[in-house]
Amino acid sequence: MTIKMISHEDLAALVAELIAADTRVIAPVQAKENPAATDYKRIQRFEDATLGFLPRRSLKEFLLPQSEVLLRFQQHKGEVKLEEVPLTPPKQVILGAKPCDAAGLDILDKVMNWDYRDELWFARREATTIVSLLCPGLDCSCFCTAVGVGPDSTRGSDVMLIPMEGGYLAQIVTEKGEALLGSRAQEVTDSSLMAKAEELRQAARKKVEQNLPVVPAEMPDWLANNFGHAYWQTVALRCHGCGACASICPTCHCFDIADERDGVEGGVRRRNWDSCQTGKFTVHASGHNPRNTQNERFRQRVMHKFSIYPLRFGDLLCTGCGRCVRICPAGMNLPEIVGQLMELAGKEPQGSGQ
Amino acid sequence: MNEMRELAAKLLTEGTVKVVIGYEEGPAGVRPAFVTDPAKADTLIFDSRCVQNLAVYLNPRRSDVAKLGKLAIVVKGCDAKAVAGLVREHQVKREDLVIIGVRCGGVVRCADMAAELTADTVADRCQDCEVREPKLYDYLVLPLPPPPPKSTRREDKMAELAKMTAEERWAYWSEQLERCIRCNACREVCPMCFCVQCVADKSQPQWIPTSPTLQGNVMWQMTRVLHQAGRCVDCQECERACPADIPLGLLNRHVAQNVEKRFDYKASDDPSVAAPMGEYRTDDDEEFII
Amino acid sequence: MPSETSAAGTGYEPKIVAFVCTWCTYTGADLAGTSRLQMPSNVRVVRLNCSSRVDPLFVMKAFERGADGVIVSGCHPGDCHYSTGNYFARRRFAIFRELLDFMGVDARRLTISWVSASQGGKWRDVVSETVARVKELGPFNRYRQVEGAERP
Repeated sequence: MTIKMISHEDLAALVAELIAADTRVIAPVQAKENPAATDYKRIQRFEDATLGFLPRRSLKEFLLPQSEVLLRFQQHKGEVKLEEVPLTPPKQVILGAKPCDAAGLDILDKVMNWDYRDELWFARREATTIVSLLCPGLDCSCFCTAVGVGPDSTRGSDVMLIPMEGGYLAQIVTEKGEALLGSRAQEVTDSSLMAKAEELRQAARKKVEQNLPVVPAEMPDWLANNFGHAYWQTVALRCHGCGACASICPTCHCFDIADERDGVEGGVRRRNWDSCQTGKFTVHASGHNPRNTQNERFRQRVMHKFSIYPLRFGDLLCTGCGRCVRICPAGMNLPEIVGQLMELAGKEPQGSGQ
Repeated sequence: MNEMRELAAKLLTEGTVKVVIGYEEGPAGVRPAFVTDPAKADTLIFDSRCVQNLAVYLNPRRSDVAKLGKLAIVVKGCDAKAVAGLVREHQVKREDLVIIGVRCGGVVRCADMAAELTADTVADRCQDCEVREPKLYDYLVLPLPPPPPKSTRREDKMAELAKMTAEERWAYWSEQLERCIRCNACREVCPMCFCVQCVADKSQPQWIPTSPTLQGNVMWQMTRVLHQAGRCVDCQECERACPADIPLGLLNRHVAQNVEKRFDYKASDDPSVAAPMGEYRTDDDEEFII
Repeated sequence: MPSETSAAGTGYEPKIVAFVCTWCTYTGADLAGTSRLQMPSNVRVVRLNCSSRVDPLFVMKAFERGADGVIVSGCHPGDCHYSTGNYFARRRFAIFRELLDFMGVDARRLTISWVSASQGGKWRDVVSETVARVKELGPFNRYRQVEGAERP
């Protein structure tokens, strides 16, 4: 692990240089009219970035857009012409990414390269450099340490910045990250800085750790064996099934494909985000819906994140960012639910089966 | 508070109802509570952070809630309008409900705000509230708090929009609606959206494009507010739930103002008052028809 | 963002969709035809049972699919074949029209009229007026102009 130092001025100069070279620089930007609203946005000047603020939506929309055109079609007298969308996404740098967001991308790489390699995803991944920022731990909804990520996790990052007086310590994670900073980052000469960084890391971890204990390794199996547990029958009474949680989640990645006409002869095929929390997600052509109630749909959300995905790919499909808690209009609380399940698993380790 | 908790415990103990739907202190703000055990009745609270319109849980789409059995529900005066609306449109039977009305001194805009009401935090709908003491109830509990502070936030915005040219209004709304991600949170939290199958979910024909493009977003939101004409009870749950912070309440407000102006109807907490879009007068204004 | 009216120019022929009730307006339009009244040919007529069958979604869909203007027309109040259908339509379109305006879509693109079976002349006037008005407003591109714009 290489650690370097970059001053505010050098970082600002780097951003200016990137923007001048037509690289899209994306950073958290706090809305002027609504201080509670911060979003990842493309910036035109370094000063526009409000690093450290938690964007309401995760980073995934810059790699898996809410809606993207997959291909265009033209029909003329029985002839169909397809026009593929070129796979050349613009270069982008995400500045001030939250560690939970960066980790989410790395976790998603697995499903994106599983039974089918999602070229659009990987083309964007290739073109993207992630500069994350050490998170101080935000509020009672954070639980990243419980799911193996942590406010100091460098997973998915190319560089992690650690705020210091006058600039940032830059923890270089990948060659891409090293190349991005180039000669602007200096060797660290002052050893007390390292100690300071470690202090910040520990403080952040400590802050988040009190929110939820670590999810045990047996959890995925326990959940798989307790699909029919009585707990699920009332888990989501208050849930509205709006799917807002899925839309802001750094790891929810389901999509729907829709063909849309544009005029009589042509149209586009689009890929749009979808969510398992809506009734329509599973409804069959016959009208039958295998997940007909919100309790079942919410169980699916928990199962996918804490059982199905880890059993298949070895990673929990959750980075503990807590956004789903903050956004929920009904007060559904994922860490609370996971905590309750952990308690049940502790009490009934054998499981009650189907 | 005890009055409400004791009543809830009594209703549950006596078996009058199987569940009491009210408010509780969640880990991150006030949230809806479903109390089935009389011993847990003391988790119920009511204060100015109880923003949610619980009438949504009476909606027949909520099969999970219906399965719990007969229910009692805590309603503010404004929420009672939604209960009345559901009874009016035959979505729920009045005799199947036990309504616990709570006197209210106004609520904040979001459930995770501090309880203190200021001109900045008070919900728009609390202005000129005439139902701080609900009229539709079986039991009426809690003392009447002082009235909420004045806020002109929403009316200022409406006036600002009214002053704009059509071009400017379109620019405003396209900027807002472009953010819509079509999660349908606005529909799901709406107590008055009770269609078993929403027109937005119909695919043959696909009336409303599913993609979150401006075209589909505009069609969806226009359709939603039109379907809510004369139904909307102005609880602004759509706006509160919107993850994209779209000021949906303004659209509903505009339609409600027109419904009132033209058809002399305001969202009512009396189930026997007819829904305005389901009736007519032979002398309704038709200045826009040639 | 191109102005809504900027594309209005010479030679532009707007597309107009008319949703009409079969009992009055359609018969009136038929009469206009059999009486050989001259009117612009920009209108595509969709015949429905009653003006109350016209869901505002039809109008939005027509705009979405490229219409520049829409006519909704039925029987005069009191003359509805189903007694009261047009009264309900009147309430619905009163609200819809004002909502269009509130959203910044020029409500002059939407004509609502009562044309009876005997009013072939009135149908010609409604069509001519609407076509002239929409011609002046130019092509409707409100829904389209932001399509495909870079998000976010």
